[in-house]
Amino acid sequence: MLEISGLTKYFGGLAAVNELDFDVRRGEMVGLIGPNGAGKTTVFNLITGFLRPAKGSVVFNGRDVTGQKPHFIAKMGIVRTFQATSIFSNFSVLENIIAACYLQSNLNLGKAILHTPGSRKREEHIVNRALEIIHFVGLDAIKDQPARSLPHGYKRILGIAVSMAPDPQLLLLDEPLSGMSAEEVKRAVTLVRRIWERGTTILLIEHNMRAAMNLCQRIIVLEMGRKIAEGSPEEVRANREVIQAYLGAGKHVT
Amino acid sequence: MSKRNLVKPLSYGALLVVLFLVPAFIAQPYVLHILIMAGLNIILASSLRFIATSGQISLGHGGMVSVGAFTSALLVMRLGLSFWAALPLAGLTTMILAFLVGYPFVRLKGIYFAMVTLFLAEFIRLTAEQWKSLTGGVAGIIAIPRPNPLIIPGLLNADFTSKVDFYYLSLVMVVVTLLILYAIESSRIGMTFFSIQQSEFLAESIGIDSARFRVLAFSIGCFFAGMAGAFYSHYFTAMNPSSFGFLLGINVFIYMVVGGMLRFYGPIIGAFILTVTPELARELKEFEPFVFAGILLLIILFMPEGLISLPHRLRKIIRESFSHA
Repeated sequence: MLEISGLTKYFGGLAAVNELDFDVRRGEMVGLIGPNGAGKTTVFNLITGFLRPAKGSVVFNGRDVTGQKPHFIAKMGIVRTFQATSIFSNFSVLENIIAACYLQSNLNLGKAILHTPGSRKREEHIVNRALEIIHFVGLDAIKDQPARSLPHGYKRILGIAVSMAPDPQLLLLDEPLSGMSAEEVKRAVTLVRRIWERGTTILLIEHNMRAAMNLCQRIIVLEMGRKIAEGSPEEVRANREVIQAYLGAGKHVT
Repeated sequence: MSKRNLVKPLSYGALLVVLFLVPAFIAQPYVLHILIMAGLNIILASSLRFIATSGQISLGHGGMVSVGAFTSALLVMRLGLSFWAALPLAGLTTMILAFLVGYPFVRLKGIYFAMVTLFLAEFIRLTAEQWKSLTGGVAGIIAIPRPNPLIIPGLLNADFTSKVDFYYLSLVMVVVTLLILYAIESSRIGMTFFSIQQSEFLAESIGIDSARFRVLAFSIGCFFAGMAGAFYSHYFTAMNPSSFGFLLGINVFIYMVVGGMLRFYGPIIGAFILTVTPELARELKEFEPFVFAGILLLIILFMPEGLISLPHRLRKIIRESFSHA
């Protein structure tokens, strides 16, 4: 489904991502892990067009989408979340999802001004769709609250709900669990798994190792912009290079 | 419809009736002139806020007014078009210009966009000054005809020889402009503008082509600036390249910020108050830019949400002072 090959990005002479190759197959949940500064978020930015790679290619469903604009990538079916702001904080919860249903909405200036019956019907359809998503993630009770007033955990859930709204084939989640309490992590992990079970392929950056190992069938480990390991959670956990990357290359580790 | 739902339409209706009857009670041309100017400033400040809903501040609105004013005057005087055809065409021309410069401009964010729009206004003025064969150069255009009479026997008899007719024309233009801007703003398109304003990255990540929507907002906003310009030129019957431009653009920005950008009615309040009150202190007219700049600074410092937040603030102060008693 997604084929990354030779992907390279320099930041001021330093290779943030270096000759990276990996695939994501349809129906998988893949984890992208690595120490801070390993280039994980840069990989997301390169895939979704927020950054242009110096070299290499991103192929999605057989189509080369390297260097395309972010909104085009979203239209192709890849949607990503952000670590910090993945919500529109001035909107209510429901408005967030409605706004995020943009790709399904087929907006038209004339119809928007005149409120034709056709556009009203489509509007109704979008609102129902948004309500379904809100129900799916379990935010029904607070759907009319302004997003900025939500507690951190709910904001993160809403961020995931926003990314579901365009109905992506491939969802890139950037640390969906960061800053959550143990209870919130449990709920969020269940949510991510349910989204995957609905048929969305997921590529996930996560620092919570236990959760990542638990969720993903396959893990890719980055260090200094290079892939140092790839395999099932068990294989990765047993990999010597991975242990070194995380614990530091002390002599006694070997 | 419940009682509560009727309050708003009824009060707007009442306001319209009052505005409609104004000339019957106040026939002084001077007062009508002030109200006409207030109306045009409302169109400009509201359309400027419309552009701002997509996250971009234009300081070049005055330049767009100039384009509309020249276009309409020239269409009528050179091509013999009726004012009623020239008016929307002036808006359209301004809109097309905004669309053409829009794509390269909207890539610039925040203050950079504001700066290039300011340069554009200056560029328009300088071009108009040099292009003597078309615009009359620095001297400008004089003897611009008034709008063609609108006569529907027994119903309407507007020959635009008095300020009253211009007053009604400006009233109609204000109402139509506000209705259209409000309809777009409260539609899903308006929502998309607000999404881009809040977070362009997030908007892009869910598939919104932010450049396209920014250009759309900019073009529509400039359309109304061009229409206002067309009104100006046929109302004043003379104009030159410096009639509108830098200072008007800044003033419109001040109307919007002083009134408050967060709400639709903010620029309406700001434009009305800042057009009418200076007339009460005409001796200070030459210091107007200083006074306006001072008001702008005070508002930004002490009332960042603009005058429209005043009732809320007063209520809060009253509540607090009573709770301490």
